[in-house]
Amino acid sequence: MLLAVKNLTVCYDTAMLLNDVSLNVATGELVGVVGPNGAGKTTLLRTIAGLVRWERECKRGTKAGNITIDGEIHFDGQRIDKLPPDEIARRGLVLCPERRRPFRELSVLDNLRAGAYLVKDHRVFQQSLESVYTMFPILKARAGQVSGTLSGGEQQMLAIARALMTQPKLLCIDEPSTGLSPKIRAELFAKIREIAKSGLTVLLVEQDVSLAFSLSTRNYILSHSKVMAEGTSDELMKDEKVRQSYLGLAGPASA
Amino acid sequence: MLGNLLVSTLMSASVYAMLAVGFSLTFGVARIINLAHTAFYMVASYIIFTATMKMGLPLYVGVVAAVSLVVLLAMVTYKVLVDPMREHETTVLILTIGVALVLQELMFLWFGGYFRSVPTAVEGFTTLLGVRVSYQYVLTICVLIVTLALVWLLLMKTRLGLAIRATAQDREIANVMGMSDSRTATITVGIAAALAAIAGAIVAPLFIIEPRIWLSPLTVVLAISVLGGLGSLKGSILGAVIIALSENLVVFLVPQGAFFKGAFSLLIMIVVLLIRPEGLYGVAFEEER
Ligand SMILES: Nc1ncnc2c1ncn2[C@@H]1O[C@H](COP(=O)(O)OP(=O)(O)OP(=O)(O)O)[C@@H](O)[C@H]1O
Ligand SMILES: [Mg+2]
Repeated sequence: MLLAVKNLTVCYDTAMLLNDVSLNVATGELVGVVGPNGAGKTTLLRTIAGLVRWERECKRGTKAGNITIDGEIHFDGQRIDKLPPDEIARRGLVLCPERRRPFRELSVLDNLRAGAYLVKDHRVFQQSLESVYTMFPILKARAGQVSGTLSGGEQQMLAIARALMTQPKLLCIDEPSTGLSPKIRAELFAKIREIAKSGLTVLLVEQDVSLAFSLSTRNYILSHSKVMAEGTSDELMKDEKVRQSYLGLAGPASA
Repeated sequence: MLGNLLVSTLMSASVYAMLAVGFSLTFGVARIINLAHTAFYMVASYIIFTATMKMGLPLYVGVVAAVSLVVLLAMVTYKVLVDPMREHETTVLILTIGVALVLQELMFLWFGGYFRSVPTAVEGFTTLLGVRVSYQYVLTICVLIVTLALVWLLLMKTRLGLAIRATAQDREIANVMGMSDSRTATITVGIAAALAAIAGAIVAPLFIIEPRIWLSPLTVVLAISVLGGLGSLKGSILGAVIIALSENLVVFLVPQGAFFKGAFSLLIMIVVLLIRPEGLYGVAFEEER
């Protein structure tokens, strides 16, 4: 297993955001995590990336810092749940965050450089820059532009490209499709498929179930802080209870 | 007259910019308002004074000693006192003003309240824009401007600079990209202290040294931050120029103006707060949860 999350429980003060969540991602897989708003998907990725623990450290001594994290997270054979986020990044786990969050006042190129912060070898940097430019030509055209002025779709491409610049072993993407037109969504998902085909392992959080299922090898359904179901897209689509309760699809599977 | 105005504006603008850039960087990266910032400038002047007048060392040794000791002092203060309190903003304000006052009292204790001065590095005068200007003055302005240019290069062209700029935008994502925010913050505090120390050390031969010389620069730095937008580098430099120019205009144009040039920067601060609270280039941090 490249990533193994074991019995993860996260509480913010009295609110339980994750309740005994276990999840596995094997090398080469594209695993989807779907579920309704407020299910805890973002919290899951933030905990894996070390940000929840970091947040607790930052806010220790205040009410907002009253966060408890239980369970274990293993990545690439090592336990990472006690590590700071920069150390987790160094091991090769990267998060492409919800709402894209480019470094707004930095140029597109500087954002990509920031992604490659841990890449010391200039040749490797040049190569990965070439490859993200090939994948997203628009970023090359906009290289000097301040990233805050990019369109939503361009910002999402930048966020993915920036994550790829870290040379990750596991790419965690949080809701890339939010706020994009169907056409741009389809384009973007084609790119994510391409990334996964190239051999990179991907953990994809997505609200758009049919989009996620069209790419994924396996999925988890997260709802009310819990894993409710797990399986391949076909299995989940055939499961009547899953269709009705979690996917918002009524009636028997047509496919 | 115009020459006079320009030369002295250039001088104050570069000193203010040195102080404001450090203050602003600290706010942007470490997310603290460090009211002890200009006290580091004062301490640097005293170190120069001790090195040159008490120990008879050459000026450049004094400058090196001042910068390294002040950087050390600032980083230790940050790590030991401020960092653990970082989330409690009011506590940080009280704490840092406390640090400034403690440093002031220590200087009173060790050096007394006398007006001290240190020797200049170079002698002689030249004529610039029709004004007689001492070489020391010219040297000081050059050093300040070169230092500011180096800081700009550091920020724009180096890996550390990239980490500083990224962290100032979004601490969480900077961490996700492998930039440890606490490490970047500590280094930034060090850089800010170095800038304050260089400013303090380099202008020491031109000004009087006494334990309270941190207070009026602090007012100015706060005014600049409000005017330029807290956390913005562009804003700090532009704000420094505007405040320096208006202070000098008051001194030159208004009879007895020197007495209320300090009040004038406060006035600018109040007016800006009333009409444009975010300043010229307000920085909005990417929201963190
Ligand atoms: N800092 C916090 N303190 C308390 N509750 C929080 C905090 N952050 C998030 N929550 C709550 O935790 C729940 C899960 O949030 P999370 O962002 O993980 O959901 P999500 O599945 O990503 O939702 P969405 O699809 O809308 O992005 C929500 O009910 C949210 O309000
Ligand atoms: Mg979310």
